Amino acid sequence: MSILSLHNVSKSFGKTEIIRGVNLDIQAGERHAIIGPNGAGKSTLFHLISGKYQLSSGRITFRDQEIQNRPPYEIARLGLARSFQVTNIFPRLSVFENVRCGMLWQQGLGYSFRHLLGRQTELNARAIHLLEEINLADRADFPAGELAYAQQRALELGVAIASGADLIMLDEPVAGMSLSEAEAAVSLIRKITKGKTLVMVEHDMNIVFDIADRISVLVYGEIIASDSPQAVRANPKVQEAYLGEAALAAAGDNDA
Amino acid sequence: MGKFAAWVGYLIVLLGLPQLFDSVLAITIFNQMAIAIVFALSYNMLLGQGGMLSFGHAVYFGLGGFMAVHALIMIEFETVYFSITLIPLVGGLIGLIAAVFVGSFSTHKAGTVFAMISLGIGELVAASSLIFVSFFGGEAGVSADRTFGPPFFGVEFFQDVEIYYLSAGWVFVSTVFMYLFTQTPAGRMANAVRDNPERAEFIGYSARRVRFISFCTSGFFAGVAGGLFALNYEFITEENLNAVTSGRVLLMAYIGGLGYFIGPIIGAVVLTLMNSLLSNYTELWMLYLGMMFVLTVLFLPRGFAGFIMMHQTAWLRGKLSSLFLPYLITGTPAIMFGGSILAAIEMLHHEGEPFGFLFLTLDSGNTLHWLALAAVGAASYFACRRSLGQLNVAWEEANRMDNPTEGGPG
Ligand SMILES: Nc1ncnc2c1ncn2[C@@H]1O[C@H](COP(=O)(O)OP(=O)(O)OP(=O)(O)O)[C@@H](O)[C@H]1O
Ligand SMILES: [Mg+2]
Repeated sequence: MSILSLHNVSKSFGKTEIIRGVNLDIQAGERHAIIGPNGAGKSTLFHLISGKYQLSSGRITFRDQEIQNRPPYEIARLGLARSFQVTNIFPRLSVFENVRCGMLWQQGLGYSFRHLLGRQTELNARAIHLLEEINLADRADFPAGELAYAQQRALELGVAIASGADLIMLDEPVAGMSLSEAEAAVSLIRKITKGKTLVMVEHDMNIVFDIADRISVLVYGEIIASDSPQAVRANPKVQEAYLGEAALAAAGDNDA
Repeated sequence: MGKFAAWVGYLIVLLGLPQLFDSVLAITIFNQMAIAIVFALSYNMLLGQGGMLSFGHAVYFGLGGFMAVHALIMIEFETVYFSITLIPLVGGLIGLIAAVFVGSFSTHKAGTVFAMISLGIGELVAASSLIFVSFFGGEAGVSADRTFGPPFFGVEFFQDVEIYYLSAGWVFVSTVFMYLFTQTPAGRMANAVRDNPERAEFIGYSARRVRFISFCTSGFFAGVAGGLFALNYEFITEENLNAVTSGRVLLMAYIGGLGYFIGPIIGAVVLTLMNSLLSNYTELWMLYLGMMFVLTVLFLPRGFAGFIMMHQTAWLRGKLSSLFLPYLITGTPAIMFGGSILAAIEMLHHEGEPFGFLFLTLDSGNTLHWLALAAVGAASYFACRRSLGQLNVAWEEANRMDNPTEGGPG
């Protein structure tokens, strides 16, 4: 059963068509990677799905509801969470407040001014727990803007997964992390997406082939393949357009 | 608990002030402070907590105040019958209604758009106040008498000190509620939207709705402050809702420190004091106010509250006292330098006539005075600059981590 479907989605900026009639089905429960060269339109596709950009044409359904061109907050409330390629956190709020804010809506607190956050013991415990998982517990009281780059990336991930949404979309979550940080992040991603659906943009082929159940390849705004990792790797079109020898070799090593 | 003690302390100070200083002037000043505290706190809800720079916050203060005066008139003529202790609530409701109306279109964006709309609305309301004379009373404003209506436990509010205690109660309750607001989901999301409105939308919140809620709450408390103004002065004019009043509340919040809940309280107290006391000594107090604002923006971007909070680390390490002497060594020439500048300004102002400055009598016609002033100014300037080094060293020493592995604040 597909949880997210894109039907003929197109997006133009001025005269340039960046996304050109994309059809994509994300199955509930799968881990789906989107790969493609720089400038292929991967982030733009994320922006279209999450409501940051308006579609030029096409339809997007999430759990049988049409979500195209709805504001981001409505889409988020339906259970679609995302992270950003360029860190996008709340710099003056503490690290703790950042993840707690990410939890508020799904907790049913909404715009309430009758609840005191300090009294939400269960919520606060969950926020602390999440900080432990992303390895930022000892930075809980720091302003998020003062964190080191890799820590901000971890927090970016933390804010995205805080809501506990069913569909989690991560745009290059480990870019810029050291090897060990990336490894930790990947195992965290694997853990928190258990029983959920993950759509992830990633350049590191080791990680992609390691984590993904299915892979879609986006080149110049078009999906040229959407299949299992093995099938994608064997696909001559993909090899020609994107996957270099090095990437294949790396992926091969990883499998062995 | 520390927080609880702070609130009790706040209440004790509010209620105790008239016991310590009971002159007519003191009570007048306290009443002004009470009004300013509520007003400045409400302003910081917009700017400090919500990231909305308003140049027209006096609109909600003024409209609340005007309606409050009219409510007093209605009590006097027995159109309505309720205790005047509830007048600030009348002001608050009008502030809220006005904010709901304006906020419905002005909170769409923060930044320049919001600032410009606030300026425009401010001008518009100030202009209409001179047009709709029956409500605003034209240039003369409207006045009332607060001593009608049912007495409050026997108190009839003939005296300013009685109004002060009433105001103090309202100030305390308003402060508590404004503080609690910062601890709610709506209040916390206001900070989040201030920091990054885009991301807030991706975690389920409409930035506009979040701003709107802060804006309305802020308008309500500005109206409460306007109601306190009406009770205290028993009259109100166009001046209380125009750009001058809007500018003053911005100064208070900024000088006090936007990033801290108590910042605006400090700003309100300091500016009210300067306003009332300094204006007795010099006609140039507005100039000094402007100078203080510029200096604060340049050297204390987090305001007075930020300056105080800078010392938290040293205090927690028990090293605050080690800063006393270094501050004295640098502070003395700094104050003398500032004093020479002020003396020079006053001498220019009192061209041709002797005048009292502190314990001196200065005369701008006397070349010797100018020379002495220049000498003191130059000497204290260089003494101050030379002493900065020792202050820096002492500061580093007081704030240095004892343990290199120690992370952030415990
Ligand atoms: N707001 C915009 N206005 C105009 N052009 C845009 C806009 N956003 C993206 N583009 C263009 O669309 C193309 C795709 O950009 P996008 O960021 O989606 O690529 P990407 O696949 O995420 O690349 P990368 O791997 O480098 O992150 C680029 O050529 C970019 O310049
Ligand atoms: Mg991208």
